[in-house]
Amino acid sequence: MNSDTMLTVDKLEVVYKRAITAVQGISLSVARGQIVAVIGTNGAGKSTTLRAISGFIGIDDARVTDGSVTFKGQRIDNRPPHTIARLGIALVPEREKVFPNLSIAENLAAPVAARASRSERRRREELVYHFFPRLAELRARIGGLLSGGERQMLAIGSALVCHPELLLIDELSLGLAPVVVEGLMERLVQIRRELDITILLVEQSASVALAISDYGYVLENGRVVLDGDAARLKDHPEIKEFYLGQARAGDRRSYAEIKQYRRSRRWYG
Amino acid sequence: MQLIVNILVLAAIYALISCGYVLVYRVSRVLNLAHGELMMLGGYMLIVTAATISSNPIAAIAGALVLSLMVGGLVYVFLMRKMTGEMVLAAVLATVALGILLRGLVILFWSAQIQYPAQTLALSNPTLNLPGGASISFYSAMLIVATVVVYSTLFAFLRFGSWGIRMRAAGQSPLLAAQRGINLHGVYALAWGLSTLTGSLAGILIALDSGLSQTIVMIGLKAFPAALVGGLDSLVGALAGSLIVAAAEVLMIHYVDPLLADVVPFLVLIGMLVVRPWGLFGTREALDRV
Repeated sequence: MNSDTMLTVDKLEVVYKRAITAVQGISLSVARGQIVAVIGTNGAGKSTTLRAISGFIGIDDARVTDGSVTFKGQRIDNRPPHTIARLGIALVPEREKVFPNLSIAENLAAPVAARASRSERRRREELVYHFFPRLAELRARIGGLLSGGERQMLAIGSALVCHPELLLIDELSLGLAPVVVEGLMERLVQIRRELDITILLVEQSASVALAISDYGYVLENGRVVLDGDAARLKDHPEIKEFYLGQARAGDRRSYAEIKQYRRSRRWYG
Repeated sequence: MQLIVNILVLAAIYALISCGYVLVYRVSRVLNLAHGELMMLGGYMLIVTAATISSNPIAAIAGALVLSLMVGGLVYVFLMRKMTGEMVLAAVLATVALGILLRGLVILFWSAQIQYPAQTLALSNPTLNLPGGASISFYSAMLIVATVVVYSTLFAFLRFGSWGIRMRAAGQSPLLAAQRGINLHGVYALAWGLSTLTGSLAGILIALDSGLSQTIVMIGLKAFPAALVGGLDSLVGALAGSLIVAAAEVLMIHYVDPLLADVVPFLVLIGMLVVRPWGLFGTREALDRV
């Protein structure tokens, strides 16, 4: 995987407000052309990891205090977000994903596409309408009035306008109907295929994420506790039980056993 | 008729100044309480350029405008940039301090005496007679023209210009804007530059019309209620607010007492804050951040 590695996160540690450690020693790597999933429950450090990759601004009051983030051989930890975006990493955030008072067309006009020529940029905007025809119908509508699904389409679209090589997506499925999520996931696979974009997905919903990914990481309490090929993770008994809820009736372990499991699982990392 | 002309001229002055408050507030949520002083500084810039660059009025005015664009950008880079990430209140207080500093510096360099840059530039200020028996001084007319030009340019820029759209984007969600490759510091510096530029234009024209001294800061202060009445984050609002405040002020001077002139804008403001705290065209959401 080494020669083809696009992004490496090595022993990342992030501290908020100079006091709260949100992520301690996460390491992961993303190979070119892959879709990689990071799954975990609330507070596991998934979003923080993505935000650390895409850069913090002043009001976040957060810093990478240890470890490193390397993108195509270049250290990018603690760089400002606009520099990172211009290098070719675009984030679809969990909240505040579109500009609420700009129309769809303006939302797509706002991003700076440092790596694209003028004509390439215009082609990209058309491409977004090609991937999401619904957005083309609503061109003049402002972002704040869109439904959850349309907002997610616009968020992915505006990230694509930045001409990224690596797309980071935070909680694509959050608050969306399963059928909408399915449609968006199919679109991601198509985007990867047609634009040759590498994708790093963060999800609470393991089944959704693992369905389209090549590789997966499981995060818990700010650490990686498990990783492997997505196909193997899907069949992993503990993933099945704790993230997919697929344990057979009567097979479910008691809470005490789960706690025991949590303790023993530390050793995976 | 003369009354209407007076209202229009005063409204133009307020509008030209208040769009600066709106620009900075809309992009960075900071109230620039030094805007009146920056406007005054524009007038003094004209004195500087008239003495150094050229006595050709157009060149001098253009030079003063370029200087004020730079001053605005520098104010952001050297003062307000440090304030990003701090409380908004801290940033607002920094602008208050800047205002006091600028007033002090102006007295230090140019004394408190009233100056007439129009004389330095050998410009006359002819009175134009309008139909209906009204009259208007040339530079007052220019104020109205400047307001129309500045507002149409700003509207077009914010609506269609790609950096205009980015300025609006940064005002709505700075984090997302940064993640989309927009350099926030660049956008903020641009907003400060444009705000100071338009303010200075007002300062320059007022100075040419009726002379320049510290007292014109008061006009800048009175334009603040105009921006607030309109809703602080809306240019249309600033235009409407300026018209309302100017009308109230002129009518009060005419029918009641000229001594009330300086109080009226704030009375209008208090009335507005009671009835509709977010202003005529402002977004309600902005309220808790003031």
